[in-house]
Amino acid sequence: MDVILNQYYLQIAIFVLLNAILGVSIYLTLATGQLSLGNAGFMSIGAYTCAILTVKAGLPIYLGIPIGGIAASFISIIIGFPALRLTGIYLAIATLGFGEVVRVIVLNLKVTNGALGISGIPTLGAKIGKALSALGFPHGVGGLTAQQTSNLMVLVVLLLCLSFLIFFCTRLNRSRVGRAFAAIKADESAAEAMGINTTYYKLLAFALGALIAGIAGGLSAHLTFFIGPKDFAYNRTVEILTFAVLGGSDLIIGPIVGALLLTLLPELLRSASEYRLMIYGALMVAMMAFRPQGLISEETVRFWKRKLGRGMKQ
Amino acid sequence: MFWQQLVNGLTLGSTYSLVALGYTLIMGVLNIINMAHGEIFMFGAFVGLLLVTYLKVNIFVAMAGAMVACALLGILMEMLALRPLRRRAVSDLAPLISTIGVSIFLENLALKIFGPQSQTFPSGALSGVQIQLGSIQISLVQIIILGISFGLMFVLRFWLSKTRVGKAIRTTAESIDTANLLGINTNKIILLTVALASGLGGIAGVLVGLSINAVEPTMGLSMGLKGLAVLIFGGMGNITGAMVGGLILGIAEVFTVAYGASSYRDAVAFGMIILILFIRPQGLFGSSTRKGGRF
Amino acid sequence: MKKSLSKWFTGMMIGTLLLTTAGCGGGAAPAANSNSQGESAKLGVVAYMSGGGAAYGQSQKEGLDLAKDEINAQGKIKIDLVYEDSRGNNTDAINAVNKLINKDNVVGLIGPTLSGEMFAAGPIANQSGVPIMGTSTTAEGVTDIGEFVFRNALPESSAVPQAVKKAVEKYNLKKVAVMYSSNNDWAVSGYKTMEKALQDNGVEIIATETFADKDTDFSAQLTKIASLKPDAVMVSSLYQEAALVLKKAREIGITVPFVGTNGFNSPELIKIAGQAAEGAIVASPWYPGKENEKIKKFVADYKAKYNKTPDQFAAQSYDALHIYAAALEKSGSTTDRQKLRDSLATIKDFEGVTGKFAFDDKRNPLMDATVLIVKDGQFTELK
Repeated sequence: MDVILNQYYLQIAIFVLLNAILGVSIYLTLATGQLSLGNAGFMSIGAYTCAILTVKAGLPIYLGIPIGGIAASFISIIIGFPALRLTGIYLAIATLGFGEVVRVIVLNLKVTNGALGISGIPTLGAKIGKALSALGFPHGVGGLTAQQTSNLMVLVVLLLCLSFLIFFCTRLNRSRVGRAFAAIKADESAAEAMGINTTYYKLLAFALGALIAGIAGGLSAHLTFFIGPKDFAYNRTVEILTFAVLGGSDLIIGPIVGALLLTLLPELLRSASEYRLMIYGALMVAMMAFRPQGLISEETVRFWKRKLGRGMKQ
Repeated sequence: MFWQQLVNGLTLGSTYSLVALGYTLIMGVLNIINMAHGEIFMFGAFVGLLLVTYLKVNIFVAMAGAMVACALLGILMEMLALRPLRRRAVSDLAPLISTIGVSIFLENLALKIFGPQSQTFPSGALSGVQIQLGSIQISLVQIIILGISFGLMFVLRFWLSKTRVGKAIRTTAESIDTANLLGINTNKIILLTVALASGLGGIAGVLVGLSINAVEPTMGLSMGLKGLAVLIFGGMGNITGAMVGGLILGIAEVFTVAYGASSYRDAVAFGMIILILFIRPQGLFGSSTRKGGRF
Repeated sequence: MKKSLSKWFTGMMIGTLLLTTAGCGGGAAPAANSNSQGESAKLGVVAYMSGGGAAYGQSQKEGLDLAKDEINAQGKIKIDLVYEDSRGNNTDAINAVNKLINKDNVVGLIGPTLSGEMFAAGPIANQSGVPIMGTSTTAEGVTDIGEFVFRNALPESSAVPQAVKKAVEKYNLKKVAVMYSSNNDWAVSGYKTMEKALQDNGVEIIATETFADKDTDFSAQLTKIASLKPDAVMVSSLYQEAALVLKKAREIGITVPFVGTNGFNSPELIKIAGQAAEGAIVASPWYPGKENEKIKKFVADYKAKYNKTPDQFAAQSYDALHIYAAALEKSGSTTDRQKLRDSLATIKDFEGVTGKFAFDDKRNPLMDATVLIVKDGQFTELK
């Protein structure tokens, strides 16, 4: 039990969940076959909006995080209208450019404190801890330290967020909207010919992705105590992209598995950390060459279902 | 001051053009954005630096060496990261992601091999020589860069339009399948194009490294992103677009500093491409039909 | 084809599972027997050891290793160092600090390299009650994180004004131009201190220009500055950009003195800028040319081991470990984190290579800086 409750493992679990949420954000835009490299930018908008609201305006965290998400998706709609006329690599590059522009603006604004970033952001854990002690559990619950309890609570909160997102996305897939997404992904002109308003659905996917990236940004601000423009640069975009590349983007579980693996592996291979990015790079090339659909595709799931089903019968 | 700033902008822009030429060649033939071009450029700079420092060769020999080394690197990339993708029908995002992978790999490989410190060319290697023209000052390396970029532009245009190989490249650019039917060995042509573009990247690396006289592993990323911006701005796969786009970007950046706010400089490149993509997605010199505007 | 892919996938998943369980098993072991080894004190180091800023982390590691060998050779106390890479990234710094505290059970921490990383990872150490000492985190407000956070890096707010004051007196400066790297938290912090010091000395700032880390072209900014003819140029940035700024400035004929923040204080500055570095001024607690036995020995030992002159990062880390050793000796325990914190806070009159040292009541260092100027390719004291 002690091993599981070790702060270190709890912290990693928290980052796994955060990254999984980011994985969902890129999955949603990829669901229409659009690659957006602006997720780090949207994350940055969410994180800064949320941090400024909670630190400077004293808003509670549970309001700040959704507002950050909404701000990100609002901006995504503004740039989405013209941007979604672009397809494929053009959109990827335009959104990459958007991320860079956001970074420069953040660097120059007073309210974001430029390169110095915003420090001393109240942590989610500390807030929950305070709430708990107000409820009469000053030293944690059931023999756990206050820190362990608050970290566990953060974990639960993130888990709830992620479960909701998974639930939402699976429902979405079975709905009209999801089918429209799939049709656009398969063939945009054909989808349009069938009477699907492709611009509307592409924009919807784009805005949903931005919303989730913004929420993840807000969460990350309250998990890392400090945010600076550097945290949301090109590297972060590439990192989010690798979740989807490794896990696959056909099914929602793909990027989540990708996030899990790519957050855990570096911790396990800490001693090889200087080779870590080289391995990432090689991994991206290898995945594209040998398994462009990612580790998990619909076929894999079908295969396992069949196999497990057979096993049951025997 | 205006004229001096204009010269500053032109010389900065010529380095961008030189980098963008490599992007353009690959874009024109393969219709992919080679995100690793910046890192190939950086390797070129290092090869040139090592040749000049340890083998004490002439700077032009170093450029040739860097060109050969980078061409080999490009061939390796084409065989390992691009060719396997062409064999199966994958979306056009796959090569983009694959070359992002190559770029991350190369940057970190360079950090491992060369170390993170920036290194300088030994003194007397052409860098730092200044020429005074009236009240305007320009460095010799910058003139060479400007000359080589324009020279390459004309040579490339001529070569692509008049020679047999050039025609084969253009046919391949139109359609790989048709080119195959016409009996062109497209794999060979593509390999040649990637090698050529990477070799150009190598030359650009040495020249730019020489002009700023500091070479370090992360220089590829920022230069690569600028080259990418020029590629989109000038029109994908258009050589004139790469040249003019680079110069415009250079001047725009310098004037942002000179007459605006220097802290917004880095937003200029990407602000420009967002703008051009919204107004004229095919770029300044691209034509509206997708294939027609190449070369 | 499909079948083989699935097989491959199965293998991959099993492999990952194995790795995960192996990792957990490995993690549990040291936690169990950590109390039995009371002999040597285990200190954790979080440094920027891979990526763009690896040069700094490398210097810090070298300084620490040298200090560790000395301390262990003396034998009064034994120190074990556990290194973790922060890659200049907040998330990684947090993970590294968490790992060192909860998995390796270290008694104290050194690092991280960047101030931003400290703002992210410092609160974790503070909450867990583990002393953490930054050796290069010079930004404003670092030690406000909490009472377990120390630093032996002289904050910009005390070094920069000394350099500015000296330069103003010496060169009779009336109007200056300021340049800084606007995407580097540390450089911006240095710029703010510089601005204030200039105002305090009644110097007019006639231009403020920015650039970014890893920029290579400064011609536009410097052309603009040259046309305004300032008495001096103040620069706040890391050495690489500083060196390139100096080179370009001399090329286009700006000959006035350059005053820099801590970024100037590196042998690399002279290596890259060469002749152009002449006349660059910086205030630093670290000066390898000082007439002092301790410093001479350190420089000689460092040279013998790594074949280069130690820079400020190495010197400050070297001192940091010696400070830890002194505190550990005083606390009499190699595992008690609270005792270590308390004895660290009382350190004073410590003679290090960066001068005489004490912590003030906010756990910032009290130390003197020397104002240096580059002359004939060497840092020499500006008198």
